[in-house]
Amino acid sequence: MSEKKSRLAVGSAGQAAPLAGIRVLDFSHILAGPFCTRLLADFGADVVKVETATRPDRTGVRKGPSDTGGRSDRPAPYLNTNRSKRSITINLKTEAGYHLAARLAQVADIIVENFSAGVMTRLKLDYERLRPLNPGLIYVSMSGYGHSGPRQDWTSMNMNLQAYTGLMMATGSENDPPIAISNSWNDYIGGLHACFGIFEALSERAKTGVGANLDLAQFECSVATFGALLVQSAVNRTVPPRMGNRSLQYAPQGVYRCAGDDQWCAISVQSDDQWRALISAMGQPAWAADPRYGTHLGRSRNHDELDASIESWTRQFEPAEVERRLKAAGVPAERMRRIREVVKGPDASQAFVPLEDPKGGSMLATGVPFRFSLSPVLPPAPAPALGEHIGEVLKGWLNLSDAEIERVDKEGALV
Amino acid sequence: MSLIIDLTAHSAAYATRLFAETGHRVVRVESPAGDSLRRTGPFLHNRPELENGAYHQFLNAGKESLTIDLKTSSGQKIFYDLLKKSVALIANLPLPLDQKALLDAQPNLVLTLVEDSEPELCAFARSGLLSLTGHPGERPVLLGGHVIYSATGLYVAAATAAALYVLQQTGQGQVVNVSVRQCLETLNEQAMVTYATTGKGTERRGYRGAITAVSGAFPSSDGYWMISVPHTVEGWDRFMEWVQDPVLMADKSLADEAERDEKRDLIINRLELWSKRFPKAELVAESQKRHIPASPVATALELAEDPQLLSRGFLTQMDHPRFGPMMFPQGAIATVLGTRMKPAPTLGQHNAEILAELGYHESDHRALVECGAM
Repeated sequence: MSEKKSRLAVGSAGQAAPLAGIRVLDFSHILAGPFCTRLLADFGADVVKVETATRPDRTGVRKGPSDTGGRSDRPAPYLNTNRSKRSITINLKTEAGYHLAARLAQVADIIVENFSAGVMTRLKLDYERLRPLNPGLIYVSMSGYGHSGPRQDWTSMNMNLQAYTGLMMATGSENDPPIAISNSWNDYIGGLHACFGIFEALSERAKTGVGANLDLAQFECSVATFGALLVQSAVNRTVPPRMGNRSLQYAPQGVYRCAGDDQWCAISVQSDDQWRALISAMGQPAWAADPRYGTHLGRSRNHDELDASIESWTRQFEPAEVERRLKAAGVPAERMRRIREVVKGPDASQAFVPLEDPKGGSMLATGVPFRFSLSPVLPPAPAPALGEHIGEVLKGWLNLSDAEIERVDKEGALV
Repeated sequence: MSLIIDLTAHSAAYATRLFAETGHRVVRVESPAGDSLRRTGPFLHNRPELENGAYHQFLNAGKESLTIDLKTSSGQKIFYDLLKKSVALIANLPLPLDQKALLDAQPNLVLTLVEDSEPELCAFARSGLLSLTGHPGERPVLLGGHVIYSATGLYVAAATAAALYVLQQTGQGQVVNVSVRQCLETLNEQAMVTYATTGKGTERRGYRGAITAVSGAFPSSDGYWMISVPHTVEGWDRFMEWVQDPVLMADKSLADEAERDEKRDLIINRLELWSKRFPKAELVAESQKRHIPASPVATALELAEDPQLLSRGFLTQMDHPRFGPMMFPQGAIATVLGTRMKPAPTLGQHNAEILAELGYHESDHRALVECGAM
């Protein structure tokens, strides 16, 4: 990846990026949609983000001083989410703006939008209206609950979806209150489903010439990730057990407190050999000789007691030391890393890559967690300024002249 | 649709399920003893048997099962015969067969290799995600339902689908490498951005005040519900108009989000007393009516009869050969495409069919069973 110098670079064997030449008209905002279209950009698609001054992407516009860093015109989360895209502004509420958007849709391969149900219809940019203009169009909606059903008008946010999709009650132990993860989990899950669906629709279109209308629901995407628990519930008519950090397959398994403030280490013993190695690493404490702990079944049955004893050992050491001793003995163990350790240090994550933004300096951007032997994945390019590419896109996609661009601007299309 | 061979472990099994949802023919190659996915509980009818695993029933739906022992030469022969008809092989490392031999046998193959070297809990801890999950100060916890493997499976699916599109456009297959560790690490991106730009870490925030000052999962008379009161003055007024709490309404300073943030515990404690009196469906409906984002905190049991999932055809009736009529979750992609998934295959259900298709005779089948290859 790093040897690529420009967005148009090709792979070492001369291959184009998977989506080279594919045009994405991106009406999406916040995160689920933009996360999807960022992946499409990494795969080489030309992603044109449609923004308006009247309906800005809430992640995209400064509202005065902020501690989120970034560029003077865009906050840091926007820069990461919308890197490698181009930006145009269209006022979709004017007649001229609507016509311009419709013309762009006519020459686009893919539209992605994650408005609430009904918004694109009100803007006259829904699939049914656009299909006759562009039968090959792949139109991807990804609202919270989809464009049909009794919940279609419900307002949805990531945390509400964590609650409703089962995540909070699947996580933690019996009788715990609901438990959440402090990231935008559902946006990623929704965005990845959409990205997969788009590739499959492109392959299908290459055979049939016909596009697709994918009315995805972020709710369903996340519920599907708990599909097995739904199957269990549908048949057994019970709430599935909450396993906490345990597993019936491996015992002991847990997250153990270490020396220091809020410091932890995960340990997962997967065999009798590893159990013996754990005991040995702990210095053969007397309690470990209890014959009940000699088998997986015994350890599984007496897990509470065992956890307390293991923790009395882990509490004596910093988590890195617990991890070091256990790994040296051949026991699977990983300390709980916080973001600082994920991003920095000798074994920092490869998932984040440096990006030079001429307007904002050096930053870190999310990369992709996969690589291809032939097709290049494009290195990240800086996020666009609002409307930065109006001229470029209107000339490139629609062959408009400067005079024509000036005219649509005068008609109020480009605000 | 084209044939995909599935040699995945749990961390990529959702990928092959997604390909079944888009209509591919997916053949899961299992050892004659059945793989670990079949051994992952909970079990249907609470019977711990190879056909009853909930993960097997969901993740293997729509797939075919071929049981062969890849350590035997006959087993390998069958595998290579099948490979020659396939467009893709998705496998967790280590591969049971030589990679070069696979590519020699099918030069245009999309070969997706999933690197997943750690137990689930350890991978979660190392990725940074554990530090984001749970309540402040309390023991951090793994996301339930092995859901992190759905996330990694999604990356595997997207990358493989990209390579299949390239194959279709150019006729060229290729090797796709996916790192489970990196997949999980990417999901820290907001914490990464915050840290990189401000030097601040992100901690577990629990379920109270996680979004706006007044937000979180609150108790109702029948479980929990989730609400996020908007940070605006109007949002707070709309909320108070509904709740009618005399103490909170008397404090005019609470119109300001920063003040609410300051007095968060006081507000939330009062709201808990209020919301405990009503059933969650009523609270959520009223909140949505007032344009305040809210939802139930649902269990899988409640989702198994959710009106939205039923209405959209995500849940449909399946007449399962083993479990009888049941509500079955089709999947997010299957729902929008209108695909009806077939029940997960029994162990080796498609052996005879696939052998016949590959040109083996019935007597070959018997010989393969007797020699232990099947």
